[in-house]
Amino acid sequence: MFAMPVSILSEIGACVIFLRDVLRTLLRGRVPVHETFEQIWRVTMQSLGTTALAGFFVGAIMTIQFSLQVKAYGALGYLGGLATSGTIREVGPLLIAFMLSGKVGAFTSAELGTMRVTEQIDAIRCLGANPYREIILPRMIAIIVSSFFLLIAGLLMSIAGGCLLGLVFAGINPEEYLRHIPTIVTLPSILNGLFKCFVFSIVLATICTYKGYTTTGGAKGVGRSVVSTAVSTMVGLVIADWLTTLIADAVMQGFLGY
Amino acid sequence: MIKFVNVVKRFGTRTVLNGISFELKEGEILFILGTSGTGKSVTLKCIVGLLRPDEGEIWIDGEEVTRLSEEEYFPVRKKCGMVFQHPALFDSLTIYENVAFGLRRHTHMSEDEIWSAVRQSLSLVHLEGIENKMPAEISYGMQKRVSLARTVALGPKVLLFDEPTTGLDPVTTNAVNHLIFSLSRELKTTSIVVSHDMHCALDIADRIIVLDKGRIVEDGAPEDLKKSQHPLVREFLAEVV
Repeated sequence: MFAMPVSILSEIGACVIFLRDVLRTLLRGRVPVHETFEQIWRVTMQSLGTTALAGFFVGAIMTIQFSLQVKAYGALGYLGGLATSGTIREVGPLLIAFMLSGKVGAFTSAELGTMRVTEQIDAIRCLGANPYREIILPRMIAIIVSSFFLLIAGLLMSIAGGCLLGLVFAGINPEEYLRHIPTIVTLPSILNGLFKCFVFSIVLATICTYKGYTTTGGAKGVGRSVVSTAVSTMVGLVIADWLTTLIADAVMQGFLGY
Repeated sequence: MIKFVNVVKRFGTRTVLNGISFELKEGEILFILGTSGTGKSVTLKCIVGLLRPDEGEIWIDGEEVTRLSEEEYFPVRKKCGMVFQHPALFDSLTIYENVAFGLRRHTHMSEDEIWSAVRQSLSLVHLEGIENKMPAEISYGMQKRVSLARTVALGPKVLLFDEPTTGLDPVTTNAVNHLIFSLSRELKTTSIVVSHDMHCALDIADRIIVLDKGRIVEDGAPEDLKKSQHPLVREFLAEVV
């Protein structure tokens, strides 16, 4: 009866210990710069197209949804600001994390899992090198850094999507749509979005590298790791979203009076 | 050079190594034979610290290593090069970068010096002109030899081979076996080879250990082993005859 919760808790514990060891490695020495930049480029380019496309439609959806509400109050001028604020505070970071989870999370887990079962990770250790430094840290840093680039790209595309749909659906010209963005999208909204983006990318990077690194059982084991990564990251991201919303709200109410 | 004292390794309730002890002198070539699952590969992984024994001691070059931390183990691993059952080449790196991997991290060589060290290591395994190829572009037998070149590039005192000829055709098997012998003699390394190949063991080993159910059932020179009456050893010898 208690076997499943115990196994889930022990998996979470192992994942946290893994993150602690990786961070300890980060503090104790140099990160391979070339490999890290290569990974940042790969992760960003791998997800840029889909993130931009999704961002465009998220902006469009937000605009349609908000236009139905604000029209009743004669406040169509605030449409752009509201849609963009919603995107940067909530939908954008979560969307980027889900996109990365599907593409980069699964890829990283499969790549590391294959390296594990073909003894490449053991070979790194046998050559007197630290696998956390050589292969885990560059991938984790890349996912975190790329998340911010992708958030910006997704956000710009969502504004573009919102502008277009605002014009077609609500008859607002782009100038009107953009006018109230600076007044509604305030610094706390931006910080809230960046905080969420940072936490989500850490959750995703930790889960996918941990799952890949601890793969056992040949090709079947790699498949299991990829599936487990997909499920764990989705659940982890939703829980992290709830937690970060609580924290961000508490900080805003407590310190900033929002 | 290497000493095992009552080493025990368990996986859950299963005891894979059940108190094995042996000592290996510098420059010796030792073959460890046995059926699958008797702890041959586990023995090698305990030497390089990929697995840690539950009981007993392992001495390498005068140093007791079983209680070393992961970071303290790195210098030990530089002394003990391991060639895996899979070639274990880094598939995103070229052959040159694979062989240069250890040199870049543990030496202060210039790029020119690394280039010449890589070429020298590749020539030791009779591979030249493939530096810029990717691992996927060369055959499995060549990948195994590149793996050997990568291991010897750092100049280890001990060479460990985990079933080096598994998955190879008879001609390449023969070539790899002779390569192990010539490299061990040429580089004056102590070598441990885990294998099922009694024919090769009798041909090139200085000493052979036969493992059965985690215990050493026979330990001696090839000539002594031929006289053994142990049923498992007789079965292995029957294959050769």
